[in-house]
Amino acid sequence: MKSISLRDVSVRFGSVQALDEVSVDLVPGEVTMLAGPNGSGKSTLMGVLLGLVRPNSGGVVLDGEENRTGRWLKERLGYLPEAVAFAPNLSGYQVLRFFAAARGVDTARIGAVLENVQLADAASRAVRGYSRGMIQRLGLAVAVLSEPQLLVLDEPTGGLDQAGISVLWRIIEEQKERGGTILMASHDLVLMEKRVHQVVMLAGGKLRAKGTPEELRARTMLPLRVHFSLDPAYPTVDRFLEAIENLGDCVPQQNGLKVVTEIAPDRLLALLSLQPKFNGTVAGIRIEEPGFDAVYESVLKVEP
Amino acid sequence: MRVGRALVWHEFQERIRDRWVIVVSILFMLMASGVTLYSRSAAESAAAMTGPSLVTLASLLVPLVALILGHDVICGERERNTLGLLLTLPATTGEVVFAKVIGRVLALSISVVLGLGVAVLLADEGGREALVALLWPTVLLGAAFLSLGTLLSSVAKRPSTAASMAVASWFLLVFFYDLGLLGLLVVTDGAFSSEAISGLVAANPAGLYRVEMMSHYSGPTGFEDLSVAAFLPARNISSLIWVLWIVGLPAITTLTLARQRSSR
Repeated sequence: MKSISLRDVSVRFGSVQALDEVSVDLVPGEVTMLAGPNGSGKSTLMGVLLGLVRPNSGGVVLDGEENRTGRWLKERLGYLPEAVAFAPNLSGYQVLRFFAAARGVDTARIGAVLENVQLADAASRAVRGYSRGMIQRLGLAVAVLSEPQLLVLDEPTGGLDQAGISVLWRIIEEQKERGGTILMASHDLVLMEKRVHQVVMLAGGKLRAKGTPEELRARTMLPLRVHFSLDPAYPTVDRFLEAIENLGDCVPQQNGLKVVTEIAPDRLLALLSLQPKFNGTVAGIRIEEPGFDAVYESVLKVEP
Repeated sequence: MRVGRALVWHEFQERIRDRWVIVVSILFMLMASGVTLYSRSAAESAAAMTGPSLVTLASLLVPLVALILGHDVICGERERNTLGLLLTLPATTGEVVFAKVIGRVLALSISVVLGLGVAVLLADEGGREALVALLWPTVLLGAAFLSLGTLLSSVAKRPSTAASMAVASWFLLVFFYDLGLLGLLVVTDGAFSSEAISGLVAANPAGLYRVEMMSHYSGPTGFEDLSVAAFLPARNISSLIWVLWIVGLPAITTLTLARQRSSR
């Protein structure tokens, strides 16, 4: 498997700088997610990788060498466009048969792929009778039909129900196990966080941040939310609340037998060290990390 | 070529299932049958009566069908978000464009063969050969206008816009073009040479088709009374015109798509 990189990519559409020297390394067997608001350059960056957008400078690099023709990548590519649709007059099977013929895939594989995306029962029906989620699953089937080295998914969760999302996770896992590279753009940050290895955040065509979800979370230093469950046998907790307040920047809130407070990650140990002192009062502790959408907003709010 | 072959078959399959194409094919068959039966009752020779009538019918109907068939070749894919999917297949942009055009031309040919085929079957035995001669030029006429529709589909953002442009092109090239040339002759008081005017007539595939087929049915001298004998270009020139329309326009479409890659 070759390593695939986008190196110093700049794209200008008239007076609009769509991408400004963006570099991203895609690692085989890993999932990279592009995140950013609408117009941030995600689709343009994907377009450059797919050969659909010609960059003004920079480009795709394969194993350290500039990919001049794009042919090698095209032969090994699977792509799911955003909100894809297919010829309404053709059946799901016929759509897949076309892409199998175009990519030189044995038609015997079509049945297995249809089974994998749970469309085997609807294979002979015309696409015009498919729901939005079924069309999206057909799009996934088209993307993975040739067992590509690079799988590019643009908003893959669009229109999918829970069963469809399970199909998507399975496909991503299979691709990872084969050592394939996955790049996807998505607004479903919370849904994707646990599934991706690298998040690339773009805004205004510029690279704002990249790293693992944990790295980005740590970088933002967003406060953690700590939940204490109180022992009913010790109804008076004034000293405990006072001890929390004395840590500084903490405003605990009590609601019956629950106390909740927010605290900076670097003060967490100090807060937890209170627990042995109030062993009888505190029956349990739960630490809640900020949602990845909060991390995303925090990263994009801060100018680099 | 693997992608090209697959795409030709895919387009053909998709179009022959298109209800609009089926309806137009039936309409063409009915009208061609009507013309043939009427001509049979009015004259003895199919070549003298049915042929020219079918030429008139085909020169009106086939360009319209072809333009409508071609109007969404590119923008239809763009609207369905599948243009990127096709252009990421291991093929050049030109291969994709030409394969889509060829697939649709094949579907259009079925429509033409059905329409004119019924006329051939209904014609007198002696006139059948003359009517069979209509088939290939009519397919060429359709291919030229389908190529124009394809070009329009690459510059229009939405299929609805492309459809309006296609209908406007049909009115312009099929109805108003010859009238415009006539007007030009009158306004300029003969400043344009007959060669220039004949060149302009032949540059329009609808005009070239009419001139070639009328010449076929009545011979070049048949035009003498109309003083348009000069409209018929030399065979190599007419072949060049057909090639420019049928191959040149999809080539321009390919260049348009390549340009759009860098200036979306």
